[in-house]
Amino acid sequence: MSSAAAATATIRADDLSKRYGRRGAVDRLTFTVHAGQVCALLGPNGAGKTSTMRMLVGLSSPDSGSARIAGEPVSLGAPVLHRVGVLIDGPAFVPHLSGTGNLKLLWSAAKRAWPPPGLADALDLAGLGPAIDRKVKSYSMGMKQRLMLAQALMRVPDILILDEPANGLDPAEVRALREHLAALAEAGATVLISSHQLAEVQQLATHIVVMNRGRLIGTGPLAEVLGATTGTYRIRPDDLDRALAILRDMPGVAAAAARGEDVIVTAPTVPATALVNALVAAHVGVIAAAPAHQSLEDAYLAMTGGHDHAAR
Amino acid sequence: MLRVELATQLARVRTLIALAFLAAVPVLAGLLFASDAGHRNGTQTGLYGASPYSALNHTMASLEFIAPLLLPVIVALLAAAIASADRDWGILRYLYVAPVTRSRLLTAKFAAVAIATALALAVVLGAGFITGLAIFGSHPFHRIGSPNLTSTGALTRALAASGYTLLCMLSVAAIAFTLGLLLPRGAEALAASVAFIVAASILNGQSALRAVAVALPVHYWQNWVGLFEPDAATGLATGSLVQVATVAVCAAACLVVLRRRDPAA
Repeated sequence: MSSAAAATATIRADDLSKRYGRRGAVDRLTFTVHAGQVCALLGPNGAGKTSTMRMLVGLSSPDSGSARIAGEPVSLGAPVLHRVGVLIDGPAFVPHLSGTGNLKLLWSAAKRAWPPPGLADALDLAGLGPAIDRKVKSYSMGMKQRLMLAQALMRVPDILILDEPANGLDPAEVRALREHLAALAEAGATVLISSHQLAEVQQLATHIVVMNRGRLIGTGPLAEVLGATTGTYRIRPDDLDRALAILRDMPGVAAAAARGEDVIVTAPTVPATALVNALVAAHVGVIAAAPAHQSLEDAYLAMTGGHDHAAR
Repeated sequence: MLRVELATQLARVRTLIALAFLAAVPVLAGLLFASDAGHRNGTQTGLYGASPYSALNHTMASLEFIAPLLLPVIVALLAAAIASADRDWGILRYLYVAPVTRSRLLTAKFAAVAIATALALAVVLGAGFITGLAIFGSHPFHRIGSPNLTSTGALTRALAASGYTLLCMLSVAAIAFTLGLLLPRGAEALAASVAFIVAASILNGQSALRAVAVALPVHYWQNWVGLFEPDAATGLATGSLVQVATVAVCAAACLVVLRRRDPAA
């Protein structure tokens, strides 16, 4: 991928809105994903993630606002989609054709000569082996998902829009996919994924966009979102009960709570060293102490209010 | 895209079975009347009565037998599948993001329907001719109660009859295709198409409903038979116009449906 191409490989949603009948799916959503970023589109079921992705690849027309890829407006069958690898609404194939037959079909539909440039790498990632020549109707869900990913990746896209790409994959396959996407982003590709697997997203994404009930409720670099809890520390003492009592009595400590063998202390105005010194002075050993970053799950649940099913 | 449509539809087992059914009828009929080779088929008149006289006689008799119901049903099956299979399988969205434009997709589908319709007709004609050649031999085209047709005359009329039937079958294909785009599933489109063919055939048989029947494409499907009768064939021009009009109306409806429909809706 050329640097010039990569420089323009942005995904941009600008004030996007979409309704299906009386139901609002997406409401004035704005965000941008730049080249080199892996952006995770997060939200509860029914939050509008897939509707957003459909608009971004032209499968659905926004009622208002615009979707642009690499600066070009996206519509159904738009030429800019040649640059985009897509997995949306799950895998879909012609059941009586083989895996290879299906890949050929989807590739040649856009008047391109077989084979695609990234076929070998994509098939390697899919790991289907001799099954690639079997009829797809005999495939398991995971095999179909891997074949669909191969379809998205074989064109060596500089933009990837993947809806729940890790669905049906086993842990080793999830890791291989993560490494592949990270490598693509490092090479300048723009990646937008939606997923409910937050631990996985936390390992891959550089940025997140969080939606709920069709609206944007949070966006930014992942590190910033997770690091928003300045003044919170995780301390592992050798005597949990005494440590809790000491820390709770300290001026400036807003909260101290046990989590497993650790104490999570919220003390925005107190330096970490002061907390540790207080424990040591009281003859409580400190095994470890570090700033407590929240997990993506914590941040996500805090943002969405813990609603797992926005549509219900 | 045309290759995609043909590869996905013509390689299906059900398509091959349907085409085999079409071929089986002339073959079975030929075997059934093998003992009458060179003689009139019982007391039958017209093309049926003359079917054991030659390969071409058998071919045209087979077409007359199949064209009112079995051929349109198979054509409807193929056309409805071409219209709806990619949506049923879910690959329509992946074709659009391939990317393929709506107009290119529709053009390829129209071409695929035309080819599939011609193929279905060719199977009937081919099976009829090959069976006739094997069982009844190559002889002048016989007409009961009239002089035989010359080779050139018979061939010309057979070609005209085939062309006319192709046009008629394209009209039923257009109806099935439109239903395939309109209805949520291919099976529903096929059921609705078959229901239309059967209902239209029943209506066409009711003399009291002639005013309705003349507006139906079905009404004109057998007009080509007159080409092989002593009197001049009638109604071919009107029949052709009705078929062309049906195809045009359906094509326009398809364009509107495809342009207005949100594929993700």
